[in-house]
Amino acid sequence: MNIIIGLINGMITSATPILLAALGGSLTYYAGIFNIAMEGMMLGGAFFGMLGSYYFHSWPIGILFAILGAILMALIFILFAVVLKMDEFITGIGLNLFSVGATTYMLRQIFKVKGAFSSPEIVPIPKIDIPWIKDIPVVGEIISGQNLIVYLTLLATIAVSYLVFKTRFGLRLRAAGYNRTSLDTSGVSANRIRVWSLILCGVLTGLAGSFLSLGYVTLFSEGMSAGRGWISLAAVILVSGNPTGIALISLLFGFTDGLGLFMQRSLPSQFTSMVPYVATLIALFVYSVRLKKKQTI
Amino acid sequence: MKRKILVNVVGVLLAFLLGAVVMLVQGYNPLETYYRLFEYSLAPGKIAYTLSKSVPLVLTGMSASVAFASGPINLGQPGQLLMGALLATIGGLYIDLPPLLMIPFLLMLAMLGGALWSGVAALLKYWFNMSEFITTLMLNMIADFFTYWAINYPFFEANANHPQTPFIARSGWMPEWGNFNSSVIVMVLAFAVIWFIVNRSTAGYEWRLSGQNSLFSRLGGVNISKNYLVVMLLTGALAGLAGGLVVMAGPHRFIKDIGGNYAWDGVMIAMVANSGIILTLVFGFFFSVLQTGSLGMELITAVPKELIQVLQAVIVLIVVAGRGYFETFFAKLEARRKMRERIA
Repeated sequence: MNIIIGLINGMITSATPILLAALGGSLTYYAGIFNIAMEGMMLGGAFFGMLGSYYFHSWPIGILFAILGAILMALIFILFAVVLKMDEFITGIGLNLFSVGATTYMLRQIFKVKGAFSSPEIVPIPKIDIPWIKDIPVVGEIISGQNLIVYLTLLATIAVSYLVFKTRFGLRLRAAGYNRTSLDTSGVSANRIRVWSLILCGVLTGLAGSFLSLGYVTLFSEGMSAGRGWISLAAVILVSGNPTGIALISLLFGFTDGLGLFMQRSLPSQFTSMVPYVATLIALFVYSVRLKKKQTI
Repeated sequence: MKRKILVNVVGVLLAFLLGAVVMLVQGYNPLETYYRLFEYSLAPGKIAYTLSKSVPLVLTGMSASVAFASGPINLGQPGQLLMGALLATIGGLYIDLPPLLMIPFLLMLAMLGGALWSGVAALLKYWFNMSEFITTLMLNMIADFFTYWAINYPFFEANANHPQTPFIARSGWMPEWGNFNSSVIVMVLAFAVIWFIVNRSTAGYEWRLSGQNSLFSRLGGVNISKNYLVVMLLTGALAGLAGGLVVMAGPHRFIKDIGGNYAWDGVMIAMVANSGIILTLVFGFFFSVLQTGSLGMELITAVPKELIQVLQAVIVLIVVAGRGYFETFFAKLEARRKMRERIA
């Protein structure tokens, strides 16, 4: 029983940052932006989140800084891809590498360390115990006692789904991706919608970043996003941006990650660490086989 | 042509200006810092070293350039480089031939390693139509862990404190004369071959055509999927070659993090070079100047060398954005001139 609870909690923990970043990617996906900068935004968020929490000894300010940091990265993306009309792919790669470089540089410059910075003065984001529910055996251990960000992620999934499909902004967002000219001619600037989708993406990836550096560990290490942004991109592509689908896929990836940890008893850790990436490949494989079947029918 | 050079130079200068502002804000002297940077990498005794350090950058850069110019979005250089390095190391651990045979043999192994890894992505695309853009990225992570496992278990050097392999056979070490490493010769040869293939052969013409307009070239009778496979294998081999040379010219063994940031730098170089082969060589050398010089900069002026990583990304963003911006700017000028001519 404990193993299963551990597996499920592990799944939730590793799914959270992927899901948050993928929700951000979903918004830009609907707006028709080939946004591959989630990795860099998340890393920026993780760094600034740690910075805010360290200097102000407060996790809410940490989260705020994380969001602002990721928005800063999003603004750079906006400057190059939307304002200067540079290729989105090149902007994304450039921004990701800029983010790695800038956070490494600041880590060195501000904290005088290389590799990683950890300090007891970094205040983590708390876990939330839900009264009543926490006393229920098994279910209570899963539903209650998760990190605050986990619950926020759940809310964000519903909110993004509502935003995209039920609001005027969502309609315009999808129009911007579907046919931007007709949106422009109807009097709504497609570029403005794109800018907003990128800023919202910054908010969500910033939350993801804060979860990385202030969630279960309180430290920042170079390149700590470790490909999660790319996995979230794969998730977005796999379900064509649908938020509910993204949530399911992210949980699946989270599950394989937890499974990897579990398998460490019998396999070298290098192989178990590969699991999420292999799972992404398998998911892409299933997706393309299904697509092929659909096309032949 | 002149305009192109101008755009690149102006972009680089703008990026340097931005870097200078960052330094000023933090209380460093930008002029001295830049002087130390270039002094350290371009002084007469140092230039051979800088040239040797540019080898992996140029090779991975060419790998990305050829791929991007021909269509495939091969972002798997980091993984391909590691697999090439691993295979060359394994060859060097178990086989010993006279140097004249050994070096080409290990280089072939390195290229094979890289091509195998890019071949996986190519076949996934070929059979199942899986986008190489994501699969190569995932394969990078897998190669990272796989090679780390390989140097931890099967090829681990007994009694070592760090995960690493023993030295490869002496005959597989790239000869060195002073600061000049003979891997530069391999790089120049590879550059000549790639330049010739891309610019002077039918295959290269077809690749470039497919890169610009895949539908048009297919209708013109180009075998798209065959070209795709060949380009993927070739670019993987180039990245693998870079990995083999890193081992054979550098530590002569596979150590942890041997790939460093070479491959991603190579991708940046290809982008800033607009996938041009000659510009890739130029920017590859330039990035090597920055990276080599950054060590001297840190030693003398206390500006952390990580700043160069930021500067590289800024150079890429500004040069590429500037290129597009200038092109529309010049097109506008041209249009205005023609308008005036017509009115007059």
